[in-house]
Amino acid sequence: MLEIKNLAMAFETERGLVRAVNKVDLSVAEGEVMGIVGESGCGKSVTLLNILGLVPHPGKVLSGEIMFQGEDLLKKSKKEMRDIRGKDIAMIFQDPMTTLNPVFRIGEQIRESMRIHGLFKDVKGGFFKSARKHAEKDRAVELMEEVGIPSPETRYHNFPHEFSGGMQQRALIAIGLSCKPKLLLADEPTTALDVTIQAQILALMQKINQEHGAGIILVTHDLGVAAEFCHKIAVMYAGRIVEQGRTEQVMDNPHHPYTQGLLRSIPKMSSKKDRIEPIPGGVPDLAELKEECAFYPRCAKAHDKCLSQEVPMFDAGEGHTVRCYLYG
Amino acid sequence: MKSIKILERLLAAIPIMIGVAILVFLFVRLTPGDPVDLMMGSAGSVSQQEIQALQEEFDLDKPLHVQLYIFLKDVVRGDLGDSFTQREPVTDIIGRALPATIELAFGAAFFAVLFAIPIGVYSAVKQNSITDRLSMAFSFLGISMPAFWFGIILIIVFGVKLGWLPISGRLDYGFNFPSVTGLYLIDTVLARDWPALKNAVLHLILPSIALGMQLLAVLARVTRSSMLEVLRQDYVTLARAKGLREFIVIVKHALRNALIPTITVLGIQIGVLLGGNMIIETVFAWPGLGRLAVDSIFSRDFPLIQGVVMIYAFTYVIANLVVDVLYTYINPKITL
Ligand SMILES: Nc1ncnc2c1ncn2[C@@H]1O[C@H](COP(=O)(O)OP(=O)(O)OP(=O)(O)O)[C@@H](O)[C@H]1O
Ligand SMILES: [Mg+2]
Repeated sequence: MLEIKNLAMAFETERGLVRAVNKVDLSVAEGEVMGIVGESGCGKSVTLLNILGLVPHPGKVLSGEIMFQGEDLLKKSKKEMRDIRGKDIAMIFQDPMTTLNPVFRIGEQIRESMRIHGLFKDVKGGFFKSARKHAEKDRAVELMEEVGIPSPETRYHNFPHEFSGGMQQRALIAIGLSCKPKLLLADEPTTALDVTIQAQILALMQKINQEHGAGIILVTHDLGVAAEFCHKIAVMYAGRIVEQGRTEQVMDNPHHPYTQGLLRSIPKMSSKKDRIEPIPGGVPDLAELKEECAFYPRCAKAHDKCLSQEVPMFDAGEGHTVRCYLYG
Repeated sequence: MKSIKILERLLAAIPIMIGVAILVFLFVRLTPGDPVDLMMGSAGSVSQQEIQALQEEFDLDKPLHVQLYIFLKDVVRGDLGDSFTQREPVTDIIGRALPATIELAFGAAFFAVLFAIPIGVYSAVKQNSITDRLSMAFSFLGISMPAFWFGIILIIVFGVKLGWLPISGRLDYGFNFPSVTGLYLIDTVLARDWPALKNAVLHLILPSIALGMQLLAVLARVTRSSMLEVLRQDYVTLARAKGLREFIVIVKHALRNALIPTITVLGIQIGVLLGGNMIIETVFAWPGLGRLAVDSIFSRDFPLIQGVVMIYAFTYVIANLVVDVLYTYINPKITL
């Protein structure tokens, strides 16, 4: 359904070209859940915004295709993209506290997508299109109920600041679901929330995937969440995808030294003797990236070859791909 | 709920007004210059009896605390005394001048808002474009330009040279309509006297521009910078991600939020417009409070000065209240 090919984009900043997305290939089939994991600042959010054609200023797409239902989104007109946004592809943003507009009521914000995409445009009658408004409101209340907002009839009239963070995130999910999208882009939908709410939201997303059959791209920096929830996982590092495969492949048999490092740095409850091992070093500055492997300075298994040229994607079998010479 | 809060705020204004009354009473009497002397002027042969008679008439012969007591007692009853120079109740004089000042202040605010918001929004959306740089340069000019000087330029260009617009007063002679509110724009509409309305509007244009120019410049800058801030917010990206047209994103989702600081500044400035237009009113011969204030100070007309200052304070309180109420509509997080 969605196939991103060789996508590259960069921000033209004073420090130079910040390559936030670098030759990314990704595909999501209908009803599939794709996880993107990676450290903060590796380009996960920007990748999602690219799909919607909403790269923030001063970002520019350098190359690539974003095929959605057989058509390249990068070639679409503004009007065509507006019709896709919020309807065929919806996004749930990272930080619920700042993503709802503080001056509009929750219900109005949920209704808005339905109205602009004409979900109930056939409903006629009443003064000032009141029949259509009622239909929209009924659906909004239904959605709020579905995402687990208690007493939705009254909550419909609340302002965002009257909601807790978890409720705000649910409202955002309701907005995302309002037009029954075929693809849902979820940008760390649980990061801002505490653990119990996190589990509820994830369960909700799972339900959406199963009942609505929506494809989902779930961005997270939590490998545990990705493992539990996704069919496929892509590991991102400094704007590049360094490993991709089915969840079992990546989790049980991680190939890239970065993925291995990520997995070792997760605290485990079960075995006390396993120490947490953080990956040494820090995330590189995207403005200073060259063609070589960006993980080189932090990699225990690095050798000279890694610096010589751009590392290609190698096939490790059964669709499991790795950007590392160890598997070349 | 809201109306109870508003009533509370109005009641809270009472002690403020009494404080203002006492202060202005004392300050007026502390300034050098004697009203009776000024009134006699250079008449030359004024007898001691005549002076005494006047002092008695105005209670100026009594001790200060007695004068204050009389003054406060009258104020509470809504009586601000009689003007020394015009021999007429101060409330009547102010009642004629206040609408002129209010009309001018609103004219200026209307002019400023009408242009400042589109300019601010456009500059923010097209940040660093030529339009943005030009309008910010002009706004800088607008802020630093003295209003009276700008007023005189307007008079010379549009009044004298081009002859397009009237340059003094509120209305030409020969119009006659009943005074209901004292605001000509409203009274002429009530009387359905359209030629008079047109004439009043024409008279309002130049002084409004002169008085509102600085406010326009300030508001344009405030709107631009708050708009720049708001455009970076996630909720603006969400609005785009919903598939909204860019125009709607900006006007509905961004501007509503960006206006919050603009309204704050406007609220403070409305008070300034009402109280700080003495020069503009003088330049344009506008029969408002500002001119009244200047005249009353020159003639040491104590009751009139007191009345004008108290009205200034009161309009300031009211303007602030109106802004606070407006605020609750635009920013749901704020309650009165
Ligand atoms: N408007 C912008 N201008 C310049 N650089 C930007 C801009 N937006 C993002 N970037 C850069 O792009 C890179 C990727 O950012 P992105 O928000 O996609 O990271 P992320 O993987 O989502 O991180 P996190 O987990 O913290 O959300 C970052 O290095 C950031 O500095
Ligand atoms: Mg992010």
